[in-house]
Amino acid sequence: MNTSDSEEDACNERTALVQSESPSLPSYTRQTDPQHGTTEPKRRRHANSDTEAGHAARGGVAAPRERDSGPVPDGEDEELTVKYGAKHVIMLFVPVTLCMVVVVATIKSVSFYTEKNGQQLIYTPFTEDTNSVGQRLLNSVLNTIIMISVIVVMTIFLVVLYKYRCYKFIHGWLILSSLMLLFWFSYMYLGEVFKTYNVAMDYPTVAMIIWNFGAVGMICIHWKGPLQLQQAYLIVISALMALVFIKYLPEWSAWVILGAISVYDLIAVLCPKGPLRMLVETAQERNEPIFPALIYSSTMIWMVGMANPSQASDSADRSADEEVRHSEDVILEREEAEPEVQMHRGQNRSYSAEEELEEDRGVKLGLGDFIFYSVLVGKAAATGGDWNTTLACFVAILIGLCLTLLLLAIFKKALPALPISITFGLVFYFSTDNLVRPFMDNLAAHQYYI
Amino acid sequence: MNLERIPNEEKLSLCRKYYLGGFAFLPFLWLVNCVWFFKEAFVKPAYTEQPQIKTYVKRSALGLLLWVTVLTTWICIFQHFRAQWGEVADYISFTIPLGTP
Repeated sequence: MNTSDSEEDACNERTALVQSESPSLPSYTRQTDPQHGTTEPKRRRHANSDTEAGHAARGGVAAPRERDSGPVPDGEDEELTVKYGAKHVIMLFVPVTLCMVVVVATIKSVSFYTEKNGQQLIYTPFTEDTNSVGQRLLNSVLNTIIMISVIVVMTIFLVVLYKYRCYKFIHGWLILSSLMLLFWFSYMYLGEVFKTYNVAMDYPTVAMIIWNFGAVGMICIHWKGPLQLQQAYLIVISALMALVFIKYLPEWSAWVILGAISVYDLIAVLCPKGPLRMLVETAQERNEPIFPALIYSSTMIWMVGMANPSQASDSADRSADEEVRHSEDVILEREEAEPEVQMHRGQNRSYSAEEELEEDRGVKLGLGDFIFYSVLVGKAAATGGDWNTTLACFVAILIGLCLTLLLLAIFKKALPALPISITFGLVFYFSTDNLVRPFMDNLAAHQYYI
Repeated sequence: MNLERIPNEEKLSLCRKYYLGGFAFLPFLWLVNCVWFFKEAFVKPAYTEQPQIKTYVKRSALGLLLWVTVLTTWICIFQHFRAQWGEVADYISFTIPLGTP
């Protein structure tokens, strides 16, 4: 498989789109016999225009729409589906695992993120320090309602902005948001790590570190940079965001919010009037990538054949959903990337005089997915007690991700990535914490091995 | 992004921008430049823009080395003499460890 890189650059995306839009040269997936000009058995449109577009929104797994021209043998199609599906699952496992590992490692070692000192975000104004269980439950539900409404409002705002082509505003918002994440949150994080390990550090060195980290991050994410570095940065900022959530969301509210946001994700991506779906459709109508928002893309390739100028596919479709959060003093702009998994599948083999290239489109997963998966596992690590619970949640999320990708391969359109994983995660968390843990503890206490 | 599929002029331009950007107190950018363009500069068969890319990579490596030396020296000095400097050291300290040194 050729390694491919995703192209983050919006400009490239646009130029790529222009290329792919040229009507006379549709992308050929396979040209069996160029000389006779027989129809290609498969013709897939490059995702660029279609699927990518959708992705600002959350959680979608988008697959390219196929323009059927020639007869497509179903068996081959299925085989490719399964083959590429499996590869993409593996490609997503690694970053999701890395993000969760970073979050769990931090939670376990740096106590700052598990200390509750009464500070809460203004999005969750109701305190959970109440006298009765009922009151506490009520407060957490109210907190969730407020949080979800904020998210809904922000999403709708984003969709409206997009519809009315206020691209500059959106770009500015995204840049501000990533600035906040890359500089402020990482500064806090670094400070806490140094305090935990009792290391002396001076301001000049810290300034250099944060400046370098942040500036290179901005360059890699919003402009051009090596793919692996960009992926690493996206993982890091997802982890930082998840840590902030874990610290500032009250206990029960966090769980209810996780549940509610999966439901919201489901509605927003699948319902015809859902904001995310509208976003996807608008972008598809305009045949353009949404904007350089934050979506993690695993690989993207494009090989330009000599004979056939292939279209550059780009994976730069990213969408981000921004949400403004207020912390104690600082206004944060959080990007809530739509948890969207997109799979652009295109197999392009163009015969050229010199080389035969095969390309494969990678899968894209929204950063919001990373964040909420990590919040779930992090919370399990922080409050769950022991490693059984944490591992159980981790496995549950990965299973959910597999299933989501499977559904993606079957349905070939944008799908929400949160619901299945979060449901499994929640189920596993509560059952492990309440059933398995006491069981294991008792067995260990009585030295009874099974 | 994949360096394979962009034309050579753009590669040169990118390398050059990374090189120039590193002057803004960004040795990390120089490091990225060196690592990313190493293959292009030294491993790939020659093409017209390659010598220039080579110079940029070499200069980035030089700049990086310089910065690493400066930073290492400063960090060593600070860690060693922090306790002795008293008030000045506290003023420039971001975190002050607990306990006696």
